[in-house]
Amino acid sequence: MALMIIGAYTNGFAQELYVFTEPASNMPTKSIGVRITNEGMFNNPGFVSRTIPEVMIGFNKNLMMHAQAFLSDMDGKYRLEGGSLYAKYRFLSLDEAHSHLRASAFGRVSTSKRPTYTRDINLEGDNSGIQGGLIFTQLLHKLALSTTLGYTHAFENSDRQIAGMPQPKNMLSYSLSSGYLVLPVVYKDYKQPNFNVYLELLGKTDPSSGQSYLDIAPAIQMILNSTTRIDLGYRFQATGNMANRYTKNMYLLRAEFNFFNVLK
Amino acid sequence: MLFFAVNVSAQQISTADLQVTGLTCSMCSNATQKSLETLNFISSVKPDLNKNTFILTFKKDANINLDLVRKKVQDAGFSVGGLTASFNFNQVKIDDKGQAVVDGNVYRFVNAKSKTLNGTVKASIVDKNFISGSAFKKQATTANSDAYASGTGIVNGKKTRIFHLVLS
Repeated sequence: MALMIIGAYTNGFAQELYVFTEPASNMPTKSIGVRITNEGMFNNPGFVSRTIPEVMIGFNKNLMMHAQAFLSDMDGKYRLEGGSLYAKYRFLSLDEAHSHLRASAFGRVSTSKRPTYTRDINLEGDNSGIQGGLIFTQLLHKLALSTTLGYTHAFENSDRQIAGMPQPKNMLSYSLSSGYLVLPVVYKDYKQPNFNVYLELLGKTDPSSGQSYLDIAPAIQMILNSTTRIDLGYRFQATGNMANRYTKNMYLLRAEFNFFNVLK
Repeated sequence: MLFFAVNVSAQQISTADLQVTGLTCSMCSNATQKSLETLNFISSVKPDLNKNTFILTFKKDANINLDLVRKKVQDAGFSVGGLTASFNFNQVKIDDKGQAVVDGNVYRFVNAKSKTLNGTVKASIVDKNFISGSAFKKQATTANSDAYASGTGIVNGKKTRIFHLVLS
């Protein structure tokens, strides 16, 4: 992290297209983004993976939405296990020449056919539930910091539960993200690739059991043709006492394609 | 009233330098560029990706709406940090209060009054959301115009958009 901060002050610029979290900024109005994400988890019992097709729509400068589907082999063979809708509303933008502060509120509703093997509520595939929260993103010269605070409530899942399985109800989530533009040092045109690096801290606390964890998640990102984004990240647990987590050791590989001004 | 009607003549903004704040990558600039290109009175948008500026060239004799330029930047998710336009004025008279009416467009000059403008004149828009929030607040304490806070005022009995300009 120290290296990244030093790097940022010598030749980098702040970047906020975070890989594991969303920034408070929105996508452009009347634009559509398409993502395909692959997550690989090296935990219990062996390697499993999940694929997430995703469509993102920018309705206006303040409101955007994501729709996701979740497919995985986590319960045997590959199948569609659920979906999620996510909406984000930006309610604050204070833009200056070399700094900005933005704040957004978000909400998510998810379904999943999966039984519950861990207290770690994950609305991106593992649990059905709702989530609400706030995002603050601050760009200060060459440093971009973003924090997300969320509260998640998981729906009852008794019909798919086996005796003794955990039944998590609520979860607090919090994250701190930073990102830097490493290349190009000098721009020539839109075709030039951008190279960004990120470091994110991702934490959750189960208020009923007191169990919690904090993951460190570094990531690299390429932006091609000023429209296509390729993300590669890895998250691992720095500290925590939540058992049987799926996302404890996980890579994430994503391609995102943006289509600007395609909606009328 | 008639005074203005006989004195104004074809007004045209030929180009503008647009400074956009909040851009952090070429994808952001590209989104802004694509958003600006949807305006039918703009003939070209030339970016400087290092300075986060765009040089806008306007179509001849088109009806130019600078508020739409601002809106398109905001639609892309960013803000206008500055807009300096090249006006082609033909014997435009600024009255003793700093106001000029050109083809129905009302301009109030922050740093000029009782003078005639002729030829290509560069001026910056200093209205709300055409400069940063802090710059607007600062300007508001010195702006000698009752229309500055809202950007609108009563001209010839009608509620009218009033742009506030600083001559370069």
